[in-house]
Amino acid sequence: MSAERYNRQIILKGFGEVAQQQLLKAKVLVIGAGGLGCPALQYLAAAGIGHLGIVDDDTISLSNLHRQILFTTADIGKLKTEVAAKRLQEMNPQIGIVTHPIRLQKSNILDILSRYDYILDGTDNFESRYLINDACALLNKPLIFAAVSGFEGQLAIFNATDNLAITTNYRDIFPVPPGKGEIPNCAENGVLGVLPGIIGTMAAAETIKLITKTGEPLSNKILNYNLLTHQQYIINISQGNNYVLPKTVAEFLNMEYQDTCEAPYGYEEIDTTALTKLRQQESVILIDVREKHEVPILDKQVFTQVPMSELNAFITKGFSQKHVVLICQHGIRSVAAAETLQEKFGNSKKIYSLKGGIVKWRDYFIRP
Amino acid sequence: MKIEIISFGKIAEFISNQKIDIAEIADTDNLKIHLESLFPELRGMKYKFALNNQLVQVNSRINHNDILAIMPPFSGG
Repeated sequence: MSAERYNRQIILKGFGEVAQQQLLKAKVLVIGAGGLGCPALQYLAAAGIGHLGIVDDDTISLSNLHRQILFTTADIGKLKTEVAAKRLQEMNPQIGIVTHPIRLQKSNILDILSRYDYILDGTDNFESRYLINDACALLNKPLIFAAVSGFEGQLAIFNATDNLAITTNYRDIFPVPPGKGEIPNCAENGVLGVLPGIIGTMAAAETIKLITKTGEPLSNKILNYNLLTHQQYIINISQGNNYVLPKTVAEFLNMEYQDTCEAPYGYEEIDTTALTKLRQQESVILIDVREKHEVPILDKQVFTQVPMSELNAFITKGFSQKHVVLICQHGIRSVAAAETLQEKFGNSKKIYSLKGGIVKWRDYFIRP
Repeated sequence: MKIEIISFGKIAEFISNQKIDIAEIADTDNLKIHLESLFPELRGMKYKFALNNQLVQVNSRINHNDILAIMPPFSGG
C-alpha cells in the first residue's frame, strides 16, 4: 500500500493508519452502477477499499450521463460494470475490482453477497431492494441503503448492530413493497443529477464510517434529506413484527419478488375488492369497453359504455376523471384499452383493468 | 392539542409541513384515521409514522407539541 496516496486521511485525527488498513481489508459490493452507485464507487475506490465489487446488468445510455458521472458520451452502449471498473482501476490501481454484469435474482444473490462484508444498495426499483434486504438479513451482512425520489433522498444502515445490540432491516419500516405504480421511479418522475450524487456520496461516507468504526453511522436509523431546503430528519428504527422475513435459504428461495415493483406498463390489473375501494374515490370513471350487444348489460348510470371501436374517439374528446377502470367480458380487451389509454395519458391518469372481466366476477355485477 | 407534521416525498405534495390542532385525538391509530379522512390521497399509500424521531410500530400516545413525521418508501437510484 502506498501511504502517500492515502496520506491526507491517514494524518486525519480520528482516522489514521489503523482505519486505512481496515479499508484495505474490506470487501464492499456496490449494487447498481447508476446515479447513486457511480459517486459511491468513486469515493470508495479513491479511499482505498481493498476489494470492490460492482453489480449491474445494464448498458450506458445518453439519458444516464447527467447523473452517472463515471461514464462519458463515448461510453454509450457499453456495459456499465466494464466502463466503471476500467475508470476506477485507472483512478486507483492498488485495489481489486470485480465486476458482476448480471441482474441479481433469488438464484444468484446469496452466492455473490456471501463473498463480501458490506453491501451498498444503489438500485432503482423495489423488487431489487426487497430481494437485497432479505438476502442481507439472511446472510447477516451490513446493508447501506440509499434511495432518491424527486428532490429528496433516504439513507440507512441495516443489519448492523448499534450500541443497544439490536439490528433492523428495511421490512421493519416498510413490511411489503408498494403496489404497482404507487411510487414513481426516476425514469417516470425525473431527478436532478446532483441529488443521487449527494446521497451516493453520503452512502460511501457511511460505508467508510461503518468499516472503520468512525463517528456515528446510521445503524438502525433512516435519514431523510431534502435538497431544496437542506433539511435533514433522522428517524430511529425499532423492530417491527408484522412481516415475513425468510430465515432459511429454502424459505428465501420460496419468496416472491417478481411483480412487486413498479408496473412495466403504467396500468394496474385489479380485482373487485380493489374495484370497490376505487369506486369510493371522488374522481373515477368506470368504462365498459364491450360492444353494445354483449350481455350481461350493466347499469349505464354507473358504467360508461365505450366499445373498443369507439375508444379512440372517446379519448380524443377527453374526460376529467383521474382514475379510469376498464372492464370487459374476460379482462383481455380491457388490457388493450388500458395500454391505449396509458399511451395517451401517461401518468396524468391512473388506469386500471379488471382482471378476469365480468365473467370471473359475475356475482359482483349481477346481484340477485 | 397541537402537533407538528413533517412529511416527505410524494406525501409532501399534498401534506405540507404544518402545525395542526388534533383536538381530542390521543393516539397514533386514531390520528391515522383522522389524517386519511383529511387527506384522502394517503389512503392505500404505503407510509410510516415516526413520533418525535421514533418509528411508530404500535399504537402510541400523542402529547401536545409532539412532532409527527410521515414517510413513504423511496426506490429511485
